[in-house]
Amino acid sequence: MSGPILFGVRHLSPAAAFRLRKALDQAKPELVLVEGPSDLNGQMQWLCHPDAQFPAAILAYTREPPVRTILWPFAVYSPEIQAILWAHEHGVECRFMDLPSSVFLGFREAEEAVEADHDRPGTEEEGTLTTESVYQRLETLTGEDHDTFWERNFEQLGESPDFQAANNAFGRELRAAAADSRRDMAETVVREAYMKRVIAQAVASGIPPEKIFCVCGSFHVAGLEENAPMTGEEEKTLPRADCCATLMPYSYYRLSSRSGYGAGNRAPAYFELLWDALNGGGVKDAAYLYLTRLAAAHRKAGNLVSSAEVIEAVRLADTLASLRGSGYPTLSDLRDASVTTMGHGSFSELALAAADTEIGKKIGFLPEGVARTSVQEDFYRQLKELRLEKFRTAELQRLDLDLREKLNVKSEAAALGDLRRSFFLHRLRVLGVHFARLLPSRQEGANWGEYWELRWTPEAEIEVVESALLGDTVEGAAAFALKERSDGSASIAQAAAIFQDAFLCGMPAAASHALAVLQGLSVDAAAIADVAETASRLSLVVRYGDLRRFDPAPVVPLVKQLYLRACLTLADACVCDTKAAPAVTQAMDVLNTLQLSHDFLEEDRWLALLADISDRDDLNTRCSGFAMAILLERGQADEGLLSREVARRLSPGVPADLGAGWFEGLAGKNRYALIARLSLWRQLDDYLSGLDDETFKRALVFLRRAFAGFSASEKNDIAENLGEVWGANPRQAAELLMNGVTEDEKKVLDSLDEFDFDDI
Amino acid sequence: MADKNVQRLPAEELYQRELDALVAAETDPVPTGWRMSPRSALTYLTGNTKVKGVDITPKYMGNRRLVEIAIATLVTDRALLLIGEPGTAKSWLSEHLAAAVNGDSTKVVQGTAGTTEEHIRYSWNYAMLIAKGPCPEAMVKSPVYRAMETGSIARVEEISRCASEVQDALISILSEKRLSVPELGLEVPAAKGFSVIATANTRDKGVNDMSAALKRRFNIVVLPTPSDMATEMDIVRTRVAQLSAGLDLNARQPGEDVVEKVVTIFRELRGGATLDGKQKLKTTSGVLSTAEAISLLANSMALAGSFGDGRISDGDLAAALQGAVVKDEEQDKVTWKEYLENVMKKRGHEWLPLYRACRELNG
Repeated sequence: MSGPILFGVRHLSPAAAFRLRKALDQAKPELVLVEGPSDLNGQMQWLCHPDAQFPAAILAYTREPPVRTILWPFAVYSPEIQAILWAHEHGVECRFMDLPSSVFLGFREAEEAVEADHDRPGTEEEGTLTTESVYQRLETLTGEDHDTFWERNFEQLGESPDFQAANNAFGRELRAAAADSRRDMAETVVREAYMKRVIAQAVASGIPPEKIFCVCGSFHVAGLEENAPMTGEEEKTLPRADCCATLMPYSYYRLSSRSGYGAGNRAPAYFELLWDALNGGGVKDAAYLYLTRLAAAHRKAGNLVSSAEVIEAVRLADTLASLRGSGYPTLSDLRDASVTTMGHGSFSELALAAADTEIGKKIGFLPEGVARTSVQEDFYRQLKELRLEKFRTAELQRLDLDLREKLNVKSEAAALGDLRRSFFLHRLRVLGVHFARLLPSRQEGANWGEYWELRWTPEAEIEVVESALLGDTVEGAAAFALKERSDGSASIAQAAAIFQDAFLCGMPAAASHALAVLQGLSVDAAAIADVAETASRLSLVVRYGDLRRFDPAPVVPLVKQLYLRACLTLADACVCDTKAAPAVTQAMDVLNTLQLSHDFLEEDRWLALLADISDRDDLNTRCSGFAMAILLERGQADEGLLSREVARRLSPGVPADLGAGWFEGLAGKNRYALIARLSLWRQLDDYLSGLDDETFKRALVFLRRAFAGFSASEKNDIAENLGEVWGANPRQAAELLMNGVTEDEKKVLDSLDEFDFDDI
Repeated sequence: MADKNVQRLPAEELYQRELDALVAAETDPVPTGWRMSPRSALTYLTGNTKVKGVDITPKYMGNRRLVEIAIATLVTDRALLLIGEPGTAKSWLSEHLAAAVNGDSTKVVQGTAGTTEEHIRYSWNYAMLIAKGPCPEAMVKSPVYRAMETGSIARVEEISRCASEVQDALISILSEKRLSVPELGLEVPAAKGFSVIATANTRDKGVNDMSAALKRRFNIVVLPTPSDMATEMDIVRTRVAQLSAGLDLNARQPGEDVVEKVVTIFRELRGGATLDGKQKLKTTSGVLSTAEAISLLANSMALAGSFGDGRISDGDLAAALQGAVVKDEEQDKVTWKEYLENVMKKRGHEWLPLYRACRELNG
């Protein structure tokens, strides 16, 4: 043997991993080189940690925003991992040999710069063959997808020593058949030249070439044989990005969705099962393992699967495999067989169990002390401290928090456990880490309950790592993020939202900073809706601040200030058109609640203002009506005033849309008070009877809108009221209503179907 | 050679040349009771090759994998149940499977509301029974019985239309693979190679639901409606050509545009949306299966051949469409009219003559 041993693998292939270990045992190399970022050799020792559980990934990220990341995911059956583990077990030196991660990230940066420079689509030469298209051609030829083809022809060779030769040959042929797009091919060549350089350096350091064992994608084998090594000058010209690296747990779910390139892995759990079978009883066990696990999962989902059906599935899968000429069934054979026997012919019945058996919910784990960013460390420490570790799964889980202090526990930490959890989850939310999602609160416990949905994903982990740029701890990063946001906020509503976030995160310093910004902004003019919204957000803090151990004192003056401002501008805001009116009435409602919640807001001012708005004729009538409704609700308007107002607003001289608009406003609140007042309905009836056809049609639009918000039972009550007004006997009316619709009535009703309200 | 005057020849006679060529060219091991290897049977059904100079036509033009599963099921001596919408080639596939495996697709039990247990097991020639008492000669064997004796495949059509006690008669046959004749003190064991292919219609769900016990004895393959326009047009074209050759219709084959129009209309009305997915449509009460499209075109060819110039005119097509689409006078008529006005009318000049012809029929 002259050169180093080149062992071509398919990434994430159990058979390759299995054969690789055998080949390593035989070759007894002095140096193992693995395709992977050569500047991250330091991460290997952590991957070999006895407590580390796969899947895990090496993540490299740039130090400067925008953050670019690159991932090298590994499963337990990755040949690369098995090579590293073998070297570790046998005390043999092991190194990565591919381009450094900084160069990979440098490439991406350079690429984006180029794309931004000339934004011209279609620079890819038409008609070139990419690896993708080679796989496609292969699929048309074999009539099977590439994963199945691979499994049938190579994966099942796992027990045979021919595997290495077969796989190297496959890679060589693939390379000959594929000419990637020029850019990708260029990158491949650069990578291979670099790998070759690493090998050459190893040889130069005195290791005999035949004692060097290289693990690389089988696609690169021919390249490593043919290409010349990169020179030192060439290496210096490679673009480099300033970057860091960390380890992170990974999930099978994410691994399965990365199946775009030819070495993808659509069914990680199934492949792990193959790996287990290879190391156990042999490839033939895989079929039994798969089918029994599938059956178990299907049973667990509440379905009936008999052992007889499993046996039939095994037999059918074997026959299907032999029809295709392979020794053992592949995943597609197994799946088709189980659909036919257990799934009654439709995959949908088995989909849940199949997802469980093929993809699985497995996520990796890295022990404490493993090289990680400090913010990751903090994240995991807090998970442990707050007893949230059981939520670190691939499954969506609910978490209900009770923010009240628990009085029957010993330590203070335990008494406020849920509150601290809430702070932590809100901080993650502020950082944009999609680990927890806040659910809308329910009626029960609206004040002190908080409902979350938690799920760990590799994406969330990456988001945690990304926030390392903002600070060293979750809290520090969140504080920085909040500060940046509040400095950049332009309106009081924005600033108030940030203040509320800081409050929810339990970070008084950030909150007071946001408050200062808010104060500064509140001097400027703002829409009444914004003012009301802001004031109500602040009011929440004042009212429930102590629940979150927050001192509301600094907020009170600002609430007062905003309240005063709102009172002074509300009347002017009521001069508006129909479209803007709902926003104004909404603001009125919010302000009313605000005033009711706080004694330090002057009541007299508010009531006087409402009376004024209700009285005036030059404002939008809907707003006036709504002011009247609030007064009614607060007991500030008596029967006489109401009936006088109704008479005045709904008098024949007043244009119908104004009158009906006023009624719409009045009906916007406190409907039971209206329903209970029979006189009101009498007056409304009189008014409507007095209208001529044309004005009635105009009024109808407003009235229809006003009544649209009433519930069915409320409408029923109104109908009863009207019955009373018209002197109908309730019992007779009920009897009449219970009767079926006659033919004539049906005709009349049908003609109403054609009635188009939009035409009015 | 078979009599050319019969209306419809069984598959094994119609495609005898292909079957003989495949048997002659056999290289793979042949299971007991089979005429050819599973792989040859697959070739026979999926076609598109030449074996010993004989063109093998495709019999089933859908997912090749489904045919593989069906054949593999028969290899494992399990019973096969084909389920699908009406007109998804269930019986067609079942007939050709039996023809490929045994060269005999005629052992059929037609499932109806009137099917009795005797049709599945055996009955008696009563004249002989009275004359001679129970004896083997007086017995009338069912197709299933005969299949068990000869180790071949029996077909049960529309199994879900049979009453449940009749379906249950199959359970013991399928699990024990024996049939007992207590009158004669006889136990008939099934010879190697015996199996059953049953078909069931999804539209019949709930008429006579199959028991779990019976379902468990079948491997179930669901036949889908053709997945895309091209496949369906292919099926229609091929089948119309085959059908019209047997019927002497004196008409020319329908042109590509005619097939495309029919398949488009069928797919749109079946799917409840236009092919581009932009417009929602009402669906009809009928299924509008591929099989119906085929018979519709044969029907218009008959019209054209008998009363026209041998070319399918838009009038012929309109009349046939009317019959196929409007099954339920009230509702379907509304659906069809809406389709004409909202979709077909706006399709441009190529569709205009057809639209006018249809419009005329609908006043």
